[in-house]
Amino acid sequence: MSNTQYEIRDTITGGLWKENPVFRLLLGMCPTLAVTAAVKPALTMGLCVVFVLVCSNIVVSLMRNLLKPHLRILMFTLTIATFVTIADLLLKAFQPEMSAKLGPYIPLIIVNCIIICRAESCASKNGLVISIVDGLAMGAGFTVALCILAAIREVLSTGTIMEINVMPQSFIPWAAMSMPVGAFITLGLVLGLINKISTKK
Amino acid sequence: MDTFTTLLMAFISIVIINNLVLTKFLGICPYLGVSGRVDMAFGMGLAVTFVVTISGTLTWLIDHLILIPLDLEITRYICFILVIAGAVQLVEMYIRKFFPALYDSFGIFLPLITTNCAILGLCLFINLWGIDNLPEAAVLSFGAGIGFTVAICVMAGIRENLNLADVPKCLRGAPITLITAGLLTLAFMGFAGMIK
Amino acid sequence: MPLKKIKYFAEQSWLLIISALCFGLLIAAVNASLAPRIEQNKINKLDDLMRTLLPAAEEFEVAAELQIDSAKGKKTKSTIYKAVSKTGECVGWSFNCSGAGFADKIELVVAVDKNFEKMAGFDCLSSNETPGFGDKIKEAKWRKQFDGAPAGNLTLAKTGNIEKIDSEIIAISGATVSSDAVVNILNNAMSQIKKQMAEIQN
Repeated sequence: MSNTQYEIRDTITGGLWKENPVFRLLLGMCPTLAVTAAVKPALTMGLCVVFVLVCSNIVVSLMRNLLKPHLRILMFTLTIATFVTIADLLLKAFQPEMSAKLGPYIPLIIVNCIIICRAESCASKNGLVISIVDGLAMGAGFTVALCILAAIREVLSTGTIMEINVMPQSFIPWAAMSMPVGAFITLGLVLGLINKISTKK
Repeated sequence: MDTFTTLLMAFISIVIINNLVLTKFLGICPYLGVSGRVDMAFGMGLAVTFVVTISGTLTWLIDHLILIPLDLEITRYICFILVIAGAVQLVEMYIRKFFPALYDSFGIFLPLITTNCAILGLCLFINLWGIDNLPEAAVLSFGAGIGFTVAICVMAGIRENLNLADVPKCLRGAPITLITAGLLTLAFMGFAGMIK
Repeated sequence: MPLKKIKYFAEQSWLLIISALCFGLLIAAVNASLAPRIEQNKINKLDDLMRTLLPAAEEFEVAAELQIDSAKGKKTKSTIYKAVSKTGECVGWSFNCSGAGFADKIELVVAVDKNFEKMAGFDCLSSNETPGFGDKIKEAKWRKQFDGAPAGNLTLAKTGNIEKIDSEIIAISGATVSSDAVVNILNNAMSQIKKQMAEIQN
């Protein structure tokens, strides 16, 4: 029992920091750059990824003993595509505004390397509990990373966070931060900062 | 003449103005991963162009001939990804059989392309932009591949020189590549508004 | 021999086929339960926009579906809504139109009075203009000068009084291309719809 608990703890810290999909593994870069112009879409995207990741991990973990090796990737893709379609429908029904804003980046979760990578390296080898925890931890790590980037970009480009004003009146919005340039440079500098912190330790 | 101009405009627009990598953030993984050397980057670019042209045209046909008449738009994402995975497999088998030399030079790139978001992204954007004729869909697909090749080759060229530059230690590797990509998008932004 | 082959195929792919069936059913179920809501959301969005543009209207009826030629020779579809007040009178018309902007397609919802003479304003359905510059076409401050402007024949000027309501539209500084695109879309759609609607009504 203690062994499982230890394993679970390890999975959680792994997803959030040691193997953070965005900052450490550099996986799933498209949404990281595309939807982080503001916090709200970034958070929505993060939650969608959590949903898809957990669901696909559950399904893959349940059928891990039945998988034929050469049809494995096809099964994973099919599972992921199904849950992405469901996530897309849910979003269209309950958050139409966000759905319009995120547009094609929701279906693009299908080719997000994080999900297929977790299905391959974790869910197809581990039991149900570990797979669910792994999905939650990885998804949370991804969401947090997205929100950090989005917060930096939103504050600098509009002076707001979650559409609430936080900067003084005299602040001049830095529009470039909400353009593609801002996405690349913010991520580059944040990665540099993380490298700096982790090498010091 | 008129259709020709429209097609030419669509081509230029997708190659440099709405470049998938630099303005839509599609295909960033290979863009950062395989852009270390120009020859590798060029190989990857060609392989992507090849697959994207086929799958972009095929998904358009499937969308307009099967999914829309049958009211099955709901399964669009699943169909698209299966078509892409199938196209990659077919292309791989075809090249291995008939052009072994080319196959050797593409090497590991081909299977990797399935999870390249530029391809699924393009198929989705063609659908989103409401492209309603086959030639335009085909030209856009081909142009997207060329745009990807241009972006990744420019990046590889810069990175080859960057190896010799004195970069702060913590920025080496991915961070400086991202910052370079940022400056590159700034340059490409100058093309916006070129076609009215 | 063929039996053996079939058995081999079944052994290899039964999981794939069964799960494909299950996933198909799952998607169908989710879609069936959510489809009405999604449809309603789409209608609500357009309805809300039209209601703010034409506050006197009680109901919007689909009056016609027209084809508009854009400058590039492409045809786009436009749905014309007739705005009806509480007493059943026609208080104006509303329609959607689109065209090329600076970076991407711009889609607008436009409202005009009942004789197609004066505009009652417009709003953006979707656009992807440069943030901080062309993006300002969405701001109420700039859109206000269209409220009451003559329908069609709008012209663009770089400087002038933004508060004066006439056919002269003052461009957003730093975003002449976006402003020009909006004016062109409006002029083009307005003149063609005016003509086609006149033909239908006679």
